[in-house]
Amino acid sequence: MLLLTAFTLITLDYRSGGGGPLRSIGNAVFGPVERAANAVAHPIGSFFSSLGNLNSYKSENDRLKKENADLLRRLRLTAADRAHLAAAEKLLHLAGQAQWKIVPARVISFGSSLGFESTATIDVGSRDGIESNQTVICGDGLVGKTLNVGPTTTTILLGNDPDFTAGARMEGTTQNIGHVDGGGRDPMTFTLLGTQARLEVGDRLVTFASEGERPFIPEVPIGHIVRVQPTPGQLYSTGIVAPYVDFNSIDIVGVVVATPRAVKRDSLLPPSPTPSPSVTSASPSPSGSPSQSPSGSPSPTGSP
Amino acid sequence: MRRSLLATAVVVTALMVQAVVVNRLQLLGTGPDLPVLVVVAFALGAGPSYGALLGFVTGLAADVLPPADHTLGRLALAYAVAGYIAGLVEDVEERSVLTTVAVVAVGSGVAVILYAGVGGLVADHRVTANAVAHSLASTVIYDVVLAPFVVPLIALAARRAEPAA
Repeated sequence: MLLLTAFTLITLDYRSGGGGPLRSIGNAVFGPVERAANAVAHPIGSFFSSLGNLNSYKSENDRLKKENADLLRRLRLTAADRAHLAAAEKLLHLAGQAQWKIVPARVISFGSSLGFESTATIDVGSRDGIESNQTVICGDGLVGKTLNVGPTTTTILLGNDPDFTAGARMEGTTQNIGHVDGGGRDPMTFTLLGTQARLEVGDRLVTFASEGERPFIPEVPIGHIVRVQPTPGQLYSTGIVAPYVDFNSIDIVGVVVATPRAVKRDSLLPPSPTPSPSVTSASPSPSGSPSQSPSGSPSPTGSP
Repeated sequence: MRRSLLATAVVVTALMVQAVVVNRLQLLGTGPDLPVLVVVAFALGAGPSYGALLGFVTGLAADVLPPADHTLGRLALAYAVAGYIAGLVEDVEERSVLTTVAVVAVGSGVAVILYAGVGGLVADHRVTANAVAHSLASTVIYDVVLAPFVVPLIALAARRAEPAA
């Protein structure tokens, strides 16, 4: 009897080609039941299967941790690289504004000789076209001058060395010149020669050209005055200078090897915080005079 | 012989580390002077003549190494005397930690004072009372702080390099 019923169902279903009313009844009745059962059984099932996968999870975890650390490290390196890039860009910006020909270099060591000197070694030398007594700058301003030149490295004297001295001119004037001197552990000082002008806090200084522009080219920003020292009865005034360059953290510097164009006066200083009386051009244009030619025999002037 | 090779290697390392790492750090004061510390450490185990010779060679290397910019020979003299003085303590029987630290302090102090003294003779404008005071205080204090780490290591290495001496 039962066999007959089974055969009948087979025939009927076969003839109707699958599906049919019985299937849909089964779906409607048993479907929700299966879903409920799955909701219960799935976490249990996955727990047991994960037990089996624990080893691979652990190795996956280790791999992800390592990858994360690696990416973090690369991000940190990128921050250092970004700092290098920013310093190099600043340097090229300054040199580009003035159209100086520079040889960029990196500082590879500092010298202190028991704490008395302030010098550094840079990784360019005579093979790169460096000579002694050339100006060294960085994006912020004057760094120093080259001393001894080797084939691939050069010693430079930094601006805060007690032996360092450079001619300097106050911004916005042509007559007010003097010299800045490094102080070693003491701050840099500026001595303004002559009694006509008054030194004031906030006055900004740029380099004054040496004879033949060796060792100093003109118009390199030096720093600004932070304190004026009283010099009663003297023919000069003295002030303490805060240099634009942090000599302890220089990294990318440039040695100026040629100055094909004259730089417009005061055009390389950063935008003034207070409006200064002289004209500071936003977009500096080189002056009309042709390229400067160095004097025939460079003789030492008052400010070496 | 082997100790001399070891001394050369350590001295060269100290000079490099001083120029490339230590001088770049913005420490309070002027920072330690590793070469003189190393010379004193070797001299403590090797005697005055060895200490003087090692000091002389180290100082000459420090004079020539870029970016030094002073008259050649000043550091050679300063380090040689520091090495000699340190070597005089070699024969002391009971050497406590305090003695070693005192020798390091005296050695680095003598080096700074001699360097400044010769600087005064050659009219070096960098040598001022303020600079000497700063340098003396910094070098002595930092070298004394580093001495407990550096001197035993060097003494151990020197003993292993030349067990008979």
